[in-house]
Amino acid sequence: MIDIKTLNFNYAKKQQPLFQDLDCELNAGSIVGLLGKNGAGKTTLLKIMIGLLLPSNGQVKVNGHMPRRRQPSFLEDLFFVSEEFQLPGISISNYVKANAGFYPRFDEKLLNKLLVDFELPETTSLQKLSYGQKKKFLISFALSTKCRLLILDEPTNGLDIPSKAIFRKVLAGSLDEEQLVIISTHQVKDVENLIDRIIMLESGSFIMQKDLFEISSKLHFATASSAEGEDVLYSEMVPGGYKVITPQVNGDSSVDIELLFNAVTQGSQKLKDYVNE
Amino acid sequence: MLLFKQQVIHNSKLMLFSSVGFCGVVYIILVFAQLSRDLEPLDIEVFFNSLLIFFIIFGVLYTGHSFPSFRNKENTITYLMLPASVFEKFLFEFINRIVVMLIALPLLFWLTFNLEGYTFELFNGLGLGFNPIGISDFMAVDNPVKEIPEWARLMIVSASFLVFVLPFTGAAMFAKHPLVKTLFSIAIIIAFYVTFIYIVVEPLGLSEYDIDESDLLLFPNNEKGGFQLLTFLAIAANLIMLAVTYLKIKEKEV
Repeated sequence: MIDIKTLNFNYAKKQQPLFQDLDCELNAGSIVGLLGKNGAGKTTLLKIMIGLLLPSNGQVKVNGHMPRRRQPSFLEDLFFVSEEFQLPGISISNYVKANAGFYPRFDEKLLNKLLVDFELPETTSLQKLSYGQKKKFLISFALSTKCRLLILDEPTNGLDIPSKAIFRKVLAGSLDEEQLVIISTHQVKDVENLIDRIIMLESGSFIMQKDLFEISSKLHFATASSAEGEDVLYSEMVPGGYKVITPQVNGDSSVDIELLFNAVTQGSQKLKDYVNE
Repeated sequence: MLLFKQQVIHNSKLMLFSSVGFCGVVYIILVFAQLSRDLEPLDIEVFFNSLLIFFIIFGVLYTGHSFPSFRNKENTITYLMLPASVFEKFLFEFINRIVVMLIALPLLFWLTFNLEGYTFELFNGLGLGFNPIGISDFMAVDNPVKEIPEWARLMIVSASFLVFVLPFTGAAMFAKHPLVKTLFSIAIIIAFYVTFIYIVVEPLGLSEYDIDESDLLLFPNNEKGGFQLLTFLAIAANLIMLAVTYLKIKEKEV
């Protein structure tokens, strides 16, 4: 689905490159979490994947297309929900009339179901909705296009707590095996139990690219009263004890993405070595 | 067709308000014009002169606001991600902004001009003798264009077209205040060429150069040849500007 080889990118020739020799391969049928600190280049990477930015060097292929060409056959199978967006001042039904035709696999029944799930009100103008409601509408529309590649940049920003839960539910329930979803976020808690592959980006390179299954088969996430012990790969003090990462022994813990993210980005060499073994 | 459908649904209100706004402005100015003539109805000469002025001013304003999505980052992303080819997007904008304008502005002006004449006639009840402008008037009028040689007409048409193509290109190039920046850029370019030509002709003494009667190979030395060269330059400028617009859409990054 997405094949990136030795990708290099810099915003200006005199600037330090933002990405250097990135390699990545992503296949359909998964939800990928692109994680990184603010300014790590998550949005830039997404924009390169969809042809909004052109790489300085290297190859990017999406569904067999070169994104930089922005061909209609490429664009009709791709939907990008950006963090900041604007919607026209028209009703939902008119928006659907105007835009659904661009996407051959558009499913109006699914859209109606998602609008109900998100409890979106009928409106004469999308501009009258709140930011969170607009975002929920755009996510619903994006899912209804049934595009093979969905890219969501900080999708949970602006959503209230119940909506975040609904977002996880509708996303998990609306996808098929042909689709790939990439979610870029720094709010890792919001995508927990949703993503099945993690890509962590820092200082212009991928510091981790792993399936969640692979991580959970190697690492154990738990709360302990002490952070002492030879087998502790990483620990963080929390009220009432410590969150710790240890080697997996019985395979029964779910992955605490926030803890893993902190461990990897804060440079726990012990953990990195163990994971990459 | 999907782009046209989307445009109509997204911007139908805006298009309606713009048309009403244009007609309103034209109507008010024509009313003042008639009041200043002691209520004497506006004739065909006024029609053509005012049409030309309104057509240029509003036409430049309208084409100068082409590619409205490029005014902010969010809409630029939406526009670029829309599943249509670059050529379709370019063609759609060209038709919507230039072709439609060339047809709609004179038509709206003609409607408003006649409406203004009729309302004066109706409310004043003076029997002012307003003669509505019809198609026959266009044919019958002593058209000064008929006196212009054909080779000069092509130059005038090309140059006039360039007046609208330049703001169209500027709107694709500049994100903020495209019309102001386009006018400013054109002013700088014109000032540069005028200065350059002045320096070559006067201080460097080209005006002293005595051209003999025989034709020059590349530069014409008669009126017809001069017009033909200018026509060629105007057509080339139009094509180059349109090509630049196309490439700006194609290479746009956000």
